[in-house]
Amino acid sequence: MSVIAPNFKLSEFIKSLIDNAFWFLLIGVLVGLPAVFIVLFVIELPIINGELLTPFLALTWMTDPTRILPIVHAFMATDLFRVMIFPGFGFAALLAAGTIFAERKMLAKLQLRVGPFYCGKFEGILQLMGDGLKLISKEIIIPAKADKPIFWAAPVLFVAAAASFVAFIPVAPGWVVADVDVGLLGVFAVIGFFPIITILSAWSANSKFPFIGGIRALFQMVSFEIPLILSLLGVVMLTGSLNLSFIAASQSSFPWIVFLPIGAIVFYITMLAELERIPFDLPEAESEIVAGWLTELSGMMYGLVQLGTYLKLYAFAALFVVLFLGGWNGPMVVPPFPAELLANGIELGPVTANVSGLPLFTQEMLNGTLWFVLKTVAVIFFILLPRGVFPRIRIDMLLNLGWTKLIGLAFVNIFIALGLLYSGVLGPGGLQ
Amino acid sequence: MVGELAGNYSTVVMMFGFAIVAMAPALIISRMISPRKRSNPVKFLPMECGQVPSGEGRTHFMMQYYPYILMFVVFDVMAIFLYAWGSALLELPKTATLPMMGFLAIMFGAMAFALYQSGRRRIW
Repeated sequence: MSVIAPNFKLSEFIKSLIDNAFWFLLIGVLVGLPAVFIVLFVIELPIINGELLTPFLALTWMTDPTRILPIVHAFMATDLFRVMIFPGFGFAALLAAGTIFAERKMLAKLQLRVGPFYCGKFEGILQLMGDGLKLISKEIIIPAKADKPIFWAAPVLFVAAAASFVAFIPVAPGWVVADVDVGLLGVFAVIGFFPIITILSAWSANSKFPFIGGIRALFQMVSFEIPLILSLLGVVMLTGSLNLSFIAASQSSFPWIVFLPIGAIVFYITMLAELERIPFDLPEAESEIVAGWLTELSGMMYGLVQLGTYLKLYAFAALFVVLFLGGWNGPMVVPPFPAELLANGIELGPVTANVSGLPLFTQEMLNGTLWFVLKTVAVIFFILLPRGVFPRIRIDMLLNLGWTKLIGLAFVNIFIALGLLYSGVLGPGGLQ
Repeated sequence: MVGELAGNYSTVVMMFGFAIVAMAPALIISRMISPRKRSNPVKFLPMECGQVPSGEGRTHFMMQYYPYILMFVVFDVMAIFLYAWGSALLELPKTATLPMMGFLAIMFGAMAFALYQSGRRRIW
């Protein structure tokens, strides 16, 4: 029988906890509080109800629910809210975490296993939290000859690149982090960073398995980038715009997958390859090269790469939804808000206070988000499904598939789009 | 003008920066609370399935599929050129499609030749 931690001493563990708490407090008081004050007095604060919001007013209003709503409204209009919470990082990380759990349960069901079961009362629902705690409390071991700064930076850069991919995705009308005119080209530019980060991480580890995995990842991502780019050209030709919000809004009557199914299939396959998922998981082939380019990553570094991978998965699924499935468009299912809520706000609390400024979101935005999330979850399901079904293919088959078949199909898709335009089915004077 | 265009992308940079600011603490906290004891040289060797590693980590590697990387450098740029045409297609006269077909024919020819050359394993 093995002992898990023979030298474990409770007293030392508690001492280390108290040590860390002390340093947190000290640094928080000496650096954190002055920083908060400097930020509060330097940044431009919004004007609410005719008054300039000072830190003093903000702190006093926070105790009163009737007065906090204008602050929340002002905060929701800022870029910071979009970056941190709704269409940005928080929303995407939530969906990514859900994807990890759903994948483990679904894969287990496909293979007649049970999957996560014991953590949490219901079906192992807290497994993800347990995994996170495990990863964050594990030691990070870095190979002695590794190029340490690059090796440390690579997982963080991977998450950051995935997050900047998420920034281009429009979730609901007007709800997008970066509404740029050439959003699709921006997406291609961000996708181009992933092979570089992968090869940097693999090279800096100075070990054989990560190196082989990194080279494979480079070949795979680079080969499938061209069919990826070409398969989306049909949509751009029919829409006449590279703005992702405009492309999503242009599909109000029918999604482009109706007219360009070949492009959608090619994009789906290249998506699997860019995400290094089975059947294209050569960079991480665990039966050949331990874990590919992830071999030397341990503890939280591996956790960060995992988070980045699933953020990227969400972003690709969302891109598929925006380009081919109509984005946020769908029948209105969210009921309209009651008229007295819009006019008077809600009555609240034992001392009746009239809270106005509700609802925080409009009906269109809630409906759009609902349809977007439903479609994205469906696409994520189809990305996860091949993992339980297909074997891994060889690298020469992969390159052959990417360079001949998929590029050929992508050009067929372009000619279908041209034909639709010039036969007058779509475009000016056509169906739209 | 240029500043305005660049300003549109500031949120992308903010997103990039926010991910770094939000994720770097995870590594720092992990470094603070994880055990770091009993160091020995074997622990920090690169992973080689339990064997003592031999030779360089960055080994010489037969780049059997190197031509595909070269092809990527050329055809990625060509694919992006197609976007300039595709996004303006609705405003262009129909005659403007003919030169593009010529461009595509050249691209196809070049790609077929490159694929043929990359298939000849003996010259790589």
